[in-house]
Amino acid sequence: MSATVKTIERKGSSLREKLYLIEIAKGMATTFGHLFRNLKDNRKLYVRHYPEVQPEIPARWRGRQRLTTHEDGTVKCVACFMCQTNCPANCIMIEAGERLDGKAEKMPVKFNIDLLECIYCGYCVEACPLDAIRMDTGIFSVTDNNRDSFVLGLKELLATPGAYSEEEYKKGGA
Amino acid sequence: MAEKIKLFVNGVEVEVEAKKNLIDAISAVGIEIPHLCYHPALGADGNCRMCLVGIEDGRPPLVPACKTPAREGMKVLLDAEHIKKIQHDVMELELINHPIDCPVCDQAGECKLQDYYMSYDQKESRMTVPQVTKGKKLDFGSGVIHDQERCVVCGRCVRFCRQITKTGELGAINRSDDTRINIFPGRPLNNRYALNVVDLCPVGAMTSSDFRFKQRVWFLKKAPGICHGCAKGCNITIDHNRQKYEDDIIYRFRPLLNKQVNGYFICDEGRLSYKQENDGRLIEARLSTQPRSIDEILTASTKEIDRAEKIVISLSPNCSLEQMITIKALSEKLGATLTGYSEGYIKQDDGDDFLIQDDKSANRAGLQLLEIDNSRDTFTGAIREADLLINFNNNLLLSFAEKEISKLLKGTKVITVTSHDTPFTTMADMAIPVASFSEYAGTVVNSDNILQSFGKAITKNIDLDDISGIAARLGSPLQTPGERFAALQQIISALNGFEPDNIPAEGLKLKESEAANVTA
Repeated sequence: MSATVKTIERKGSSLREKLYLIEIAKGMATTFGHLFRNLKDNRKLYVRHYPEVQPEIPARWRGRQRLTTHEDGTVKCVACFMCQTNCPANCIMIEAGERLDGKAEKMPVKFNIDLLECIYCGYCVEACPLDAIRMDTGIFSVTDNNRDSFVLGLKELLATPGAYSEEEYKKGGA
Repeated sequence: MAEKIKLFVNGVEVEVEAKKNLIDAISAVGIEIPHLCYHPALGADGNCRMCLVGIEDGRPPLVPACKTPAREGMKVLLDAEHIKKIQHDVMELELINHPIDCPVCDQAGECKLQDYYMSYDQKESRMTVPQVTKGKKLDFGSGVIHDQERCVVCGRCVRFCRQITKTGELGAINRSDDTRINIFPGRPLNNRYALNVVDLCPVGAMTSSDFRFKQRVWFLKKAPGICHGCAKGCNITIDHNRQKYEDDIIYRFRPLLNKQVNGYFICDEGRLSYKQENDGRLIEARLSTQPRSIDEILTASTKEIDRAEKIVISLSPNCSLEQMITIKALSEKLGATLTGYSEGYIKQDDGDDFLIQDDKSANRAGLQLLEIDNSRDTFTGAIREADLLINFNNNLLLSFAEKEISKLLKGTKVITVTSHDTPFTTMADMAIPVASFSEYAGTVVNSDNILQSFGKAITKNIDLDDISGIAARLGSPLQTPGERFAALQQIISALNGFEPDNIPAEGLKLKESEAANVTA
């Protein structure tokens, strides 16, 4: 396949353009045109009315993490540390302990994710052998006004439900 | 030098040591023969069949390498198709009833089954029938937890208890796929070396309740060290890790092979002594009970030293030779009485004829080598007249009752330079924190007169000076590590020709003449 070469004419060389006050006035006319049109009726705006209108987040979007649970609501995670090992940002900090309910031998007693360090790469989800961590909460914006509240603990991670049905999530390529 | 012979592995000629079996001989030149049941300390058992190799001299097509002595001109076959098939078949057999619970298994990362699966198997299981279920999380006593499902019945643990500790608590019961390792009812593991079965176990069947779930092993950094739990000076691997936002913490001690000192094993007490490196440490300087900066206390101490007329310096038998000689030089400069009295570190009749010694200090032989007095009379006599005691990490409360020592120290100022916050530290007028043995480099002499050196393994967030550093700042003439080592070389002739970092790993056996010096 041969490359097609298109030569673009360089603008700004004529006298009228070099005087550039005329060009500024033309540009301002466009800007003010948009301003007045949108002031009169903003339904025709080209951008989303965020935050009143939220974007549609697809199921395969890597949002804030959550920990999944068994059907009886107990944590699926067995604290194998695969996500922590795989995490390139080192934002996962797990502490393991004995599990006594017979579901497994081991469970996390502490599971902290520092969202300020997380790069939302999804490697933790890929590494997990038990589908215990997912990024399907649909939460794309995490805001707060102090650093500590960005470190999510076991409780917060378990409390957030998934935003999609199982079929939608599976269809997303997980 | 050991006798060398030449043999062929896969047609390539290699030179190996004679009088060894094929596994040991060939692994010394970097060629691995997979094996599960063989361990150099426990001998060949030949039950796992993982080490089957071919010998091209007319004998049966397959022989176990662990039971075959290396011979001159032997043609060993390792990479033939039928050998690979055997290795794969043995792995498949071992994995039939293995639960493959690697995510929750502490052995993952240092597991022979995992390693060999990756190297010799890598096939899906063909089993369609349910696996045999056995006992899980059985408490075998002495901190050993057993999982019968993970077990490959290599019998290393059984042989350890029979051959090494001679207590024989473990046995293999039942036959074929129902075989399991168990204790006799009501008779748990009860010996002082029991936790070695955790290291010996090639899979995750034996785990330590102390280390259980604390860390995944691939996070741990490994550093060689010397156990300071008793006078034997066993070689250890210090497994430590600095977790994010935390301090550098030791998670376990494991034995490190040193045929001259401890062989392949260490005692449980020494193994668990890592906790003392993490906990109960003094990290701030104190004036009585008030926290102060180290510089402030050092200045105050120097003033006390100038003011004092009769000084007694006592030091711990755990100090390294470098620390001892620095303190000795300091005491000679100050005209102080130097004493290493530390009778309380000796536990009579606690030792055995394997590794554990009565003397729970690491370098008492060093005290004698440097001719430091350690009699009780010298100590009590000098302390009665003294007006200042500088104590270098010697926990006097081990040797004296609390009432006795406070009576002795009445009217005497006490400066203690210590790694741990003991009740004696609170008795002192001033306390200066120092590094403990995993945090400095030094040399110690064990009860068999073997001199061993060790390096700095741990760097804490607050990186404290060690005892020689503090002694130097208090005015000892030996200011640098080089000067200290040179001073040691003048006393210990065996050190001549060595640098601190090239002392052989198995240690230097000190000569009889120097040993004689010890008893003198």
